[in-house]
Amino acid sequence: MWAGKSVWLACLFFLFSCQSDDLEGIADKSYVFVKPPNFPEPTYTFDNNPITEKGFKLGRKLFFDPLLSRDGSVSCNSCHIQATAFADGQQHPMSIGVDNQQGIRNAPSLTNLAFMREFFWDGGVTHLDFVPTNALENELEMDESLGNIVDKLNQHTEYPALFKEAFSIDTITSPYMLHAFSQFLVMMVSANSKYDKYMRNEGEELTNEELEGLRLFEEKCTACHDGTLFSDFSYRNNGLSATFSDEGRARITEHPADQGKFRVPSLRNVARTAPYMHSARFQTLEQALQHYAIGVVDSPTLDPLLKNERQRGIPMTEEEQSKIISFLRTLNDYEFVADQRFMNTSNP
Amino acid sequence: MKIFKYILFSTLAVSLFSTCDDEKIDPEAGNGSFVVEFDNYVGSTDMQLDPAGSTDFRYATASGQQFNVSTFRYYISNIKLEGPDGAMFEDEMNVSANADEVAGYYLVQESEASSQYITLDNIPEGNYDKVTFTLGIAEEGVQQGAAGGILDPAEGAWFWNWNAGYISLGMEGTAADSPQQKVEGDGFIIEPKTFSLHVGGWKDVDPDDNFVNNIKTVTLDLGSAVTVSDKLKPEAHIVFDMLKILDGASVDFSQTYAVHAPRLGAPLAEEIPNAFIVDHVHQ
Repeated sequence: MWAGKSVWLACLFFLFSCQSDDLEGIADKSYVFVKPPNFPEPTYTFDNNPITEKGFKLGRKLFFDPLLSRDGSVSCNSCHIQATAFADGQQHPMSIGVDNQQGIRNAPSLTNLAFMREFFWDGGVTHLDFVPTNALENELEMDESLGNIVDKLNQHTEYPALFKEAFSIDTITSPYMLHAFSQFLVMMVSANSKYDKYMRNEGEELTNEELEGLRLFEEKCTACHDGTLFSDFSYRNNGLSATFSDEGRARITEHPADQGKFRVPSLRNVARTAPYMHSARFQTLEQALQHYAIGVVDSPTLDPLLKNERQRGIPMTEEEQSKIISFLRTLNDYEFVADQRFMNTSNP
Repeated sequence: MKIFKYILFSTLAVSLFSTCDDEKIDPEAGNGSFVVEFDNYVGSTDMQLDPAGSTDFRYATASGQQFNVSTFRYYISNIKLEGPDGAMFEDEMNVSANADEVAGYYLVQESEASSQYITLDNIPEGNYDKVTFTLGIAEEGVQQGAAGGILDPAEGAWFWNWNAGYISLGMEGTAADSPQQKVEGDGFIIEPKTFSLHVGGWKDVDPDDNFVNNIKTVTLDLGSAVTVSDKLKPEAHIVFDMLKILDGASVDFSQTYAVHAPRLGAPLAEEIPNAFIVDHVHQ
């Protein structure tokens, strides 16, 4: 009987050690990745990097630490702020890196990265682990090499012990640092907007104006801003200009057909992530909608959906635009921007 | 009844255990070894490195352009052996943040002699006459995320951040015709007349996309079959001739001296399969 019991316990152990999606029996789900029921399957490789509370908190500490930049002046949080769903603030449309340098594109929101296959405006990165490296090493952003960062972390008074607790390693190496970042980033799931609660029948109702906006959105916008994440994640030229100082997707594919194309961004929390477009051209949602209605500029790679026979762009009256904006505001997730787990704490 | 319970539970335990354990034990794994040596050449001469910027030009292209080499490095992965009688071996592949668990990926560097000998273990006994390998890190290697050891950029892996992926093949040196000017940056110097040819690019996820995939698979006949057994550890001596790449792609250093993106590197990558030759095998 004793043998039977111990084997049963062993069964339980294996059951819990490999099934992270089985939440029963885990009291605190704060550090467990949970896919919202109305969301697609995540793309992240959790098998290689299972989320733990220690790993998540280590990622958070790194995210807020300016030590990682060349001169200790800039952290990830400098350009990705929780109040704007981890996009940059409106006052820094192109973000500010070390030596007060300006970047080249508007910093996108970091929410729902766990569900994406490609990252950045041009989709050049195809795995979340490799996302932070771009900001860390880019000379306009944090301008520090992975090698130097790892050296600084290994010499630090706190990090070696935190990495040992999170990953059981004696020496910090870059893949473990990137895994810590990913643990923090994949947990940034924003799925509790008014719209989500309405869709999931959780007692939230949309107003008539918002419902009318949703209907118009489905008619005029979902050809690109499709699905639960409000993007089909394709690359399109949306007619901002006729010439391209920033090649966009063509920087990655090196193909002329991709000149001036940028990724269709998710619209979750869009009312908080101004300014809009890769070039931060528009300050308000009204300006962005107006662009699609009357501002689309022709060029050889302009998206076919915006090449209407009679008129370029998407025909929309001002009243229709205003209703769509009312709907877009229902995508704000106030729980996410107030979620304590993503806040800086000096006490990890 | 107790015994029945015990069997039931232990079966359950074993099946749960096997579903979470990634490392499968291959019942056909043998205990033989095989060594693949990658020996870098320029034409008919064994490659020798010179300091970057040196104007001591040891080599010349078919069109007579003089050059030397300061860095020559590449990734080998997915090594397979096949034999005339059906013997087969596939090197175990694994990507991990833990450097000790990275398997099947090898960085060959001219500057480090030991990196040029790849010892394959657990090979089933038998005769082998064919070796296949990949030059570069293909999708399976990139899409598992951050990795340690020879795949860690902080420890010398060459990685493109903006178009994320590993540089398959790096060829650097100095050429009499290179128009490269001296550049002094923060913590680095580019010497005049140098060239830097980096071949990378692995993406062709979607056929509608316009990516350039420069990952190349090379299959070589060993010439004669060699026998692997617990007593016999054969060695294939493979020559990689840099000149076959430069001449095959008709590289003119006055035009082609800085290659740092997939499309420009495609003509060089096309020549990779032609640049490997089996020199000889030792039994």
